[in-house]
This record gives sequence, C-alpha cells and structure tokens, in this order.
Amino acid sequence: MASIAAAQVQEVRSITRIERIGAHSHIRGLGLDDSLEPRAVSQGMVGQKMARKAAGVILQMIREGKIAGRAVLLAGQPGTGKTAIAMGLAQALGPDTPFTSMAGSEIFSLEMSKTEALTQAIRKSIGIRIKEESEIIEGEVVEVVVERSAGGGGARVGRLTLKTTDMETNYDMGAKMIDSLLKEKVQAGDVITIDKATGKINKLGRSFARARDYDATGQQARFVQCPEGELQKRKEVVHTVTLHEIDVINSRTHGFLALFSGDTGEIKSEIREQINSKVAEWREEGKAEMIPGVLFIDEAHMLDIECFSYLNRALESETAPVVIMATNRGITRIRGTSYRSPHGIPLDLLDRMIIVPTSPYSHQELREILNIRCEEEDCQMSADALTVLTRVATETSLRYAIQLITTASLVARRRKAAEVSMEDVKKVYSLFLDEHRSEQFLKEYQDEFMFNDGSGDAPQLMEVSQ
Amino acid sequence: MKRSCLIEVFDGIDSFQKRIKVQSNIIEGNSKMYRNSIWYRSLLDAEKTCLKEDKLKKIHYKFQDDKEMVEEYNVDTQVLLRRAWKVKGKLGGEGKWDVEIGDPIPNATPITDGPAADIIESKDQPILSRRNTRINLEWRIRNLPYPIETYSVTANNDQRCIIISTTNKKYYKRLQVPELDRLNLPIQQAPIQCSHSFNTLIVVYKKPQQLLDMDREWYEELSKVKPVKDVPNDCKAQ
Repeated sequence: MASIAAAQVQEVRSITRIERIGAHSHIRGLGLDDSLEPRAVSQGMVGQKMARKAAGVILQMIREGKIAGRAVLLAGQPGTGKTAIAMGLAQALGPDTPFTSMAGSEIFSLEMSKTEALTQAIRKSIGIRIKEESEIIEGEVVEVVVERSAGGGGARVGRLTLKTTDMETNYDMGAKMIDSLLKEKVQAGDVITIDKATGKINKLGRSFARARDYDATGQQARFVQCPEGELQKRKEVVHTVTLHEIDVINSRTHGFLALFSGDTGEIKSEIREQINSKVAEWREEGKAEMIPGVLFIDEAHMLDIECFSYLNRALESETAPVVIMATNRGITRIRGTSYRSPHGIPLDLLDRMIIVPTSPYSHQELREILNIRCEEEDCQMSADALTVLTRVATETSLRYAIQLITTASLVARRRKAAEVSMEDVKKVYSLFLDEHRSEQFLKEYQDEFMFNDGSGDAPQLMEVSQ
Repeated sequence: MKRSCLIEVFDGIDSFQKRIKVQSNIIEGNSKMYRNSIWYRSLLDAEKTCLKEDKLKKIHYKFQDDKEMVEEYNVDTQVLLRRAWKVKGKLGGEGKWDVEIGDPIPNATPITDGPAADIIESKDQPILSRRNTRINLEWRIRNLPYPIETYSVTANNDQRCIIISTTNKKYYKRLQVPELDRLNLPIQQAPIQCSHSFNTLIVVYKKPQQLLDMDREWYEELSKVKPVKDVPNDCKAQ
C-alpha cells in the first residue's frame, strides 16, 4: 500500500515535469466540423477561417494519401497563427501520421550537409506500417514500485510485478518506462501489454478479480480476464516506423566500433537506395503500407537557394511527403543570392506551391485568443483586465500580450488576489517594454550606449558580411 | 575414465557405442529415417565453415534460405555445447545471436539505452538455459527456490511442447523441443525426468534412438569439413 502511495506522489511530480505550457499548447486541432467547415472558436483555434478551411482541404488530401510531394506555403504577418495552424494540422492528423516539424535554420549544422539534413527530414516524414513479430509481455499488474535510488537526485528505479493465472514475474524498469507507466496511470489490478521492442504500453482493462474495488475504478472501467499461461509471448504487431528510422537501423556500426562513431551522422545514399527498393518490394507483396506524412518547415525564408532547388527535385519523387512551409517575410532577398523574390522563395518553387494567406486578427478574435491562453496558463482574469490586455494586443503585438498574462497573474498573486485586475496588467505593462517602446527608448538615449557613432550603418555592414 | 568435460561423465565410449549398436540392431528398419528429414537435408546442403580452437570445434552453417547457425562441439566428448541462430529483424540491421542450446553469449557492449533496456526481468527471476548431454536433452531453470513437489512437468504432444507449471502459480513455462520437431518425433511423457537442487530445476528428456543416431552420424559427417587454417589468433594474455 505504501508503495502505491509512493507511486502517486511520484506521479504528481512527473506530470508537472512533462506538461509544461508552450506557446502553442492550447491547440488541440484545427477546429473544423465533420464537413470541414471551421467553427468560430474550437480546439483552441480562433478566427482565421479561410486559412483553416484551406488547411482542412489539405488535411483531407493528406489523409487520402494519394497525392505525393505537394507543397503548401502559409504566408502572413508575425503572430497571425501560421505555426498554430500547422500544429493544429498535426493534431488533427493523429499520432499515426508522421509529422516532422523543423525550423528553417535547423539545416545549418556542422555535423552534416544541408541536403543531408533536408533528406533526413523528408524521410522522417514518411511512415511505413509493417507487421512484425514482437515480444509482448501481457499480464495483470500486482505491484508498481518507484523509488529514487540512494544519494538524492539519483536515477529513479522501478519494479513492476506482473502475473498471469499461472505465473508471476518481477521486472526492473528504467526511467522512460516508469514515465510511460505513470502517464498511462497504470495501477495494481490493471491488465496491460508491453511491447518489448518499442516499450509501448497498452491498457486492456481491469482484472475481474478487482471488480469489487469500487472506489478504485471509474465508471467506464472495462473488466477483462487475467491472462493465462506465460507472461511473455511472441505476437504479430503492426508497427509504424519512418523511413529514416529504417535508414538508421541499417547504417549503424555494430560491435564495439559503435562506441567510437556517433550514429547521427550522414547516411550513405546506397543504403537509402537499398531500403527504397526493399520497401517497394514489401509494398508489392502487401507486407507493408506507406503513410505519407507532413514535413513542416517554419521560417522557410531561412533556407537558401541550394535547399530550394533541392526541394524542387525532392518534391517530384513519388515518396515525397506533403511539405508545409511558413514564412512571415514579404518581398525579400533569397538567401544565398542577390535576387529578391516574394516570401524570399524562388519563383519556380513558389509556382509549385499552393499559398494559404493568414490575415491579422480582429479585436474580438484577439480577446478570444487571450481568453483561451488565460485558461491554458491557469490564470483568472477580470473582464476589464482582459479588455486592457486586448487593447495592448491590438496596439503592440499578440505575443507581447500573451507574455503579460502569466507575469500579471504573478503580480496579482503577490498581493494575494484571486483574480488579475486591470492594475496588475498596467503594472506589468510598465515593468516590461514591448518591442516598439524599446525602440523608442533606444532612439531617445542612443547616444549614451556603447559603440555608438551616431551614423547607424552598423547593421548594414553585418548584412553584407553574411 | 577421467572427467573429460564439465557436463558429463560417462564410462567410456566403447560401452556406450555397444549399447547403441544393440539398440540399433533391433530397430534397424526405421532408424535411418532421419536422413529423409528436411532438417538433415538442409544441414547437408548448407555451406559449412569449420574452426578448431583448443578442444572446441566451431561450425558455421549458412543455409540456402539465408539463415545462419553456429554450433560448438567438444572434440573429446563429441557433445554439442552450443547452438545459436542469427536472428535478423525484418527492418534489417545486423541482427543478434539467439542461443538455442548452451549458455547465452555474454554481450560485449551491454544495451544501455533504447526501450529494450528499459524493462528487463529482475536478476532474481528464474532463468532458463539449455544444456544437452550425449544421451539427454536438458533444461536448467535457475532461481527456482520451491521444493520439487511444487512442479508438474507434462509432455503436450498436441502443442509440441513440455509444460512446466507450479502449484503455487509462481512459474509457468512452455519448453519447445526443436530437436524432436525437426525429426517429426513425438514428445512423450516417459522419457521425462526432473530433479531439483541448489535452487535449480533440471528437466531431462532422454534422446530417442533416431536422434542419437543422427547426432552420431552428423558428427562424423562434420569431420569432412576441413577446419580453416591461418585464423588470426586472438590476443591471448600470457
């Protein structure tokens, strides 16, 4: 009993660790109804109806999976919900469709070339669903014990006892397995399966033997028989792996040499070709199914001309995913050239894209978004404070207004108020400058800052040297 | 006779072979049946490489269906010490050795990451290992502290396995008998014996005549495979 209590204490701690609130964590989908019409406020999405409708059409296209290698460009001013739409799309697609999200600047790495980084990103976005024989542990949970090893701050160790009607076994668990057990809220009396190869946990229900513990079960608890025979079984399971994962499995150096070579480096093109032909063979035999996913490149204007021309070619392959790019640039220089082009993307690539514009939010929509964020950040805000905050959002930016939510709630908490009032918002507004006021301030006091000769041409110099 | 290997002490090859001869005379009619089995033929057809190392004879088989197997024989006793299969994942990769008979191969680089390392049986849990002798198929299950009355060991010919179960519901295991499966021999209750000592349950199945004959003939067959010379020697610490 004490061990269960220990597990529960642990649970509280790990959840605060796992679920931090990100900039887009309020988004749970695209907010469309069954006929793909956007609802006004739904799943964390507000306004931007045309763009969401367009995303709904793209969603349908991806789900059908027939069209390969289309590119979509989300274009709009900063803070108009481009990334939010992409995140919503990812959520709407579900966990089975691969969705790779990267920023345009991620490809500039010293470890590998730009095209290699892009190839890996593209191959991460193609899933293969394949049947594989796997070791499954199936049994009723007798006990879960999680302890912190001696010496404070040490690694957590866990022990899981499982049984069938015929046997009982103890397992030692590592940190990841403990986390996923706690996340699934596995407790004594549950019947679970664990895929040994992937570590995936599946809760089948509660054991009939525990049907009397009314207090421990919810209403929708499903009761199942305790499994029979051996705990470990070999079963055919359907796995979804990405092409990149297969690449890595086949290119890894084995034996003790693996210690000396990192396995994140470049992958030989011969290996990729071999895998492509193998996958094609499996598909013909009906052993595997291809799931084209989505590659989302945020800040696409950070890509340079080489990447764009590589993408041009890569999109033509029939194993290409749907590529979604987002940019907040207008007509600007294409990186790596001296030419200017809309969105900083060459015209030939733009020609292959469908472009979805996003427009600035209206006053009412901003208020709605701020309201959602207040809920997400667990912050009670009075109506007039919200009005002020909305005005701040219209006059400065939405991002700045969102920054003020938690800061204002901290100020309110310090004066032991349950609700954030207008004064709290005003207080943080004066404490933290927005980008515009900061600029004003700099202009006023420029002469007193370091390295200032008053001519103001330093930024241009940097631009040239790049 | 002096103790020639750790596993088995027997009273001389001569008397043993005499016994086999007597028995084989009785059932001469079907005792060579194994020669027609798919298993024996695939062994004959496999590409074989032999390595001799002190008292060990290692044979690597590459079968026509691309499977790989390794056997290790003790040269003195002619007993198979280890048989392992190379298991390749469907997605490719190097694959790892799955030991059918003998002690598991110690891993030079223990798995420290990945989901496989994240859930493993505790060290105090029962461990099964196979270790055959000349006349017996043997299973040893260590870390089983319960007294001998706890276990029931039954042959189940329908499911092609030997089932070990316990009255206290702590242990249950289906033992596959690939040696008998390969020759299509029935799994019977009579040849099964078990004993328990030092926290170890030992299940013994007396090899049927067919299997004994095949083992013997196959060992002679293996002497035709010439051992590879000029193997770079392992660096032995002097």
